Amino acid sequence: MAVWTQVVGTATLFAGSPLLWGLTQKVKARLQGRRGSPVWQMYWVIVKNWRKETTVPEHSSWVFRIAPSVSMAALSTGLAMVPAGGAPPSGWPHDLLVVFFLLALERFWVGLAGMDSAGTFGGLGASRVTTLGTGIEPALLAAFGVLWQVSGHTAIAPLAQGLSDVPGGGLPWVMAASSFGLVLLAELGRLPVDNPDTHLELTMIHEATILEASGRLLSLWQWAMTLKLTLLLSLGWAILGPPWGSNPWVNLGLRCGELAATAVVLGWVESRFTKLRYLQLPTYTAVAAGVGVLALFLVAGGFGV
Amino acid sequence: MGLWGLMGIGVASCLVGTSNIRWSRPSLMIFSLGILFWGALGLVSPRLVATASAVPGVLQLTPLRAYFLAILGLVAVMSTWYRWGYHEHGGAVRWWISPFLLSMVTVLLANNVWLFMTAWEGMTITSFFLVTTEHDRVEVQRAGYIYLVMSQMSAMLILAGMLQMATQLHTFSFSTWTLRAGALPNTSKNLIIALLGMGFAIKSGVVPFHIWLPRAHPVAPAPVSSLMSGVMIKLGIFGVLQFLLFDLRPIPTFWPMVLLAAGAVSSLLGVLYALMEHDLKRLLAYHSIENVGIILLGIGVMGIGLNRHLPALAALGLAASLFHTLNHAVFKSQLFLAAGAVEQHSGTLDADHLGGLIRTIPAIAVGFIAGSLAISALPPFNGFVSEWLTLRGLLGLSIHATGILAVYGLGLAMVLGLTGALAGLCFVKASGVIFLGEARRPVYHRRIPISMTGPVWALAAVSLALGIFPNPLVRVFTAILPGSTPAQALAAVTVPVRPLYTAALILFGVVFFVLISRVWDVRTVPRWACGRVPDASMQITSASFTKAIRTTFAVIYRPHRELQALGPHVPDFPAQLIYQGGTRPIWERYIYRPLYRGVWTASRLSTHLQAGPVRLYLAYLLATVGVMLALLH
Repeated sequence: MAVWTQVVGTATLFAGSPLLWGLTQKVKARLQGRRGSPVWQMYWVIVKNWRKETTVPEHSSWVFRIAPSVSMAALSTGLAMVPAGGAPPSGWPHDLLVVFFLLALERFWVGLAGMDSAGTFGGLGASRVTTLGTGIEPALLAAFGVLWQVSGHTAIAPLAQGLSDVPGGGLPWVMAASSFGLVLLAELGRLPVDNPDTHLELTMIHEATILEASGRLLSLWQWAMTLKLTLLLSLGWAILGPPWGSNPWVNLGLRCGELAATAVVLGWVESRFTKLRYLQLPTYTAVAAGVGVLALFLVAGGFGV
Repeated sequence: MGLWGLMGIGVASCLVGTSNIRWSRPSLMIFSLGILFWGALGLVSPRLVATASAVPGVLQLTPLRAYFLAILGLVAVMSTWYRWGYHEHGGAVRWWISPFLLSMVTVLLANNVWLFMTAWEGMTITSFFLVTTEHDRVEVQRAGYIYLVMSQMSAMLILAGMLQMATQLHTFSFSTWTLRAGALPNTSKNLIIALLGMGFAIKSGVVPFHIWLPRAHPVAPAPVSSLMSGVMIKLGIFGVLQFLLFDLRPIPTFWPMVLLAAGAVSSLLGVLYALMEHDLKRLLAYHSIENVGIILLGIGVMGIGLNRHLPALAALGLAASLFHTLNHAVFKSQLFLAAGAVEQHSGTLDADHLGGLIRTIPAIAVGFIAGSLAISALPPFNGFVSEWLTLRGLLGLSIHATGILAVYGLGLAMVLGLTGALAGLCFVKASGVIFLGEARRPVYHRRIPISMTGPVWALAAVSLALGIFPNPLVRVFTAILPGSTPAQALAAVTVPVRPLYTAALILFGVVFFVLISRVWDVRTVPRWACGRVPDASMQITSASFTKAIRTTFAVIYRPHRELQALGPHVPDFPAQLIYQGGTRPIWERYIYRPLYRGVWTASRLSTHLQAGPVRLYLAYLLATVGVMLALLH
């Protein structure tokens, strides 16, 4: 029973992730006073690229060709580990640290693909993506620091219930959520960290690594990009969201609604901020990490809670 | 009996190595396989081995020793196999490698101070000769000298600590220490831990005692580097575990905290220094410092677990550190052997001269990328499991503590996360610059024989197997954990994250997406170079890849650069620009150089005491006798 909910939930989120992306883009367009492309646009883009001829740059090797597949595989595995419709079935691996390691795996192959394209932009993007990762990984650990401490687990499901059992867990919750929110923007490559809509050499981060990709490889990269959005938002809701109801299918429906709502908020945030300078990003991730550490300070030190 | 047999094979292998060229490698292989066999046997049936083969008072084989013996055996087998294809200069490696292995085996099996220290010194001397294989180069002589001096300091500190322990306990036998050392008073424990800990830390290359490591490892031939980095520095870890944590248990809480801090500093600084390296073997050597730091983090967690009577946390810390010890031995020797192949293939290890080696040595490239994934702690390789265990242990500190200690645990976990991300960056850079893209300069390409790719692939397979099936190995650790182990602690040491599922899902996903995206059906086109003619020099270099890191961590690196403009119309229209940049070696400049100068000054001043006249010496003698009489009355 629970296994089926998880499988169906993962498949739904997997298939629906381009829609989530489209929703964000739509909100952004509306707030900028444009009508914008339809929310289904990402599907058409993926299909269009899939049908086109695939070219690879000279001097590239098999690494460049399989990198988008590894990226997709790592993110799908991560998505499968996030409980989608209620407590995960027993024996289902759902460890938060493993999801972090999978995100690192994805980043590693994005970097390798960039290096393998043998061009200027690929290497530049690889350097930027991995450098950004050095700020993101400790900040992700810090964001949930208070939750590890309270629940005593690193598994996602017990972690999710940790803070709701603590009386007066409101402030630490807000801090953990804002810390995660800040890291989320960095990890997703959204404004104010990276702008997914630009192809300006000086500013692009993730786009630079996949600049040489085309055809089916580009389709996979684009799907992976949307998948990462779904994975991180879903992870955030699974951990910081309200406790599960009794009916798994209702839970799954609620999760989809929550994701859509967050995508709208994300679009709003994106149109409110300008991009930070690249060299200021360590400060940005340090602030995110700092908020997480402070939340742990509050709980572990017994202040205010 | 059995252990004597192993030592006998070792001695025979030493003799063959010095006299017979043809049989030296086979005899070494037999010896290595013997080490591996005894290590594995000791792990599988510790009781049998302990009773049947120990030589009372001289040799012993405890589960912990058997584990390190197995690691030694594995790396020795692989590096010996590799030597069939590796081009060695002169006979130094053939002469010294068997005594080196024999002394490491003896260090592990010794059951008294004398045998241990003799073997420890033997290990230092033999590895000194191995490091200075190419002794006609000045930098090799210098590296060898620094290595020898640091190793002697380490040996003397260890000897002092062991003699201190022996005087306190009135015995030189290690097995008696295990039974009785725990009852020592805290003051003597502190002294012993300080001496032994510093001695072993030097041997393991813990920051700030690390300066010999990035000098000595790169200049050695690749099979020797793999043994030194994979196993020799782990003997320091063995010493810390056996003498400090197991024998002297319980130790004052201060010490596990120091271990954690040392681990955090070593892991972070190790990887940060590695990032700035362009020489592949130096880069790998700095990563050894990083990984020793990660192992120390695990040991520190175990120390705190033992002190606070949290058996689950202690078991977790022990499993993390031991697992990472093996993992590091596996993937680091894999990477060092691959680096040796790169050097033999292209004649250089400078990353900025290389590129695109994935087309000329594809098998080595696969081995190196697999090793990079493992060392960056990415699933489904083994580094992932041990780093997960270490992170879990550090967060466990946070869980079981309150107040500042909880924040300390989280802070250490964040340092480990940062270290992991930096290692990932470093290996994207290393694999990318060396193996991917286009060759930066034309270099000579020599073929690599199958006996050199074989060990690299075998180690990659071991690394993958450990990453997918960690639990059988983790169960072995329960025999190593000292004292009585409650059932709860035993349950905690298995890895609950199901690495098999993760690996299967990833593998399935990769195969599925590769098949549906038909990666073979592609057309090759020129790169995008903004409309200009692309060439190799437009690729990113090793130095520019880490530019942002250099800026962010400027406080550690102290980067400097000089831009010199030349020509008749300077500064506005320079004809030529000369750029020089780099980082400052702070440890060498601010700690070791003043220390070195101080020692020299002291020794120069002391020459006045020993000026030569016999009357002066008689005066010293009289003064000494007088002082002694005054003190003793």
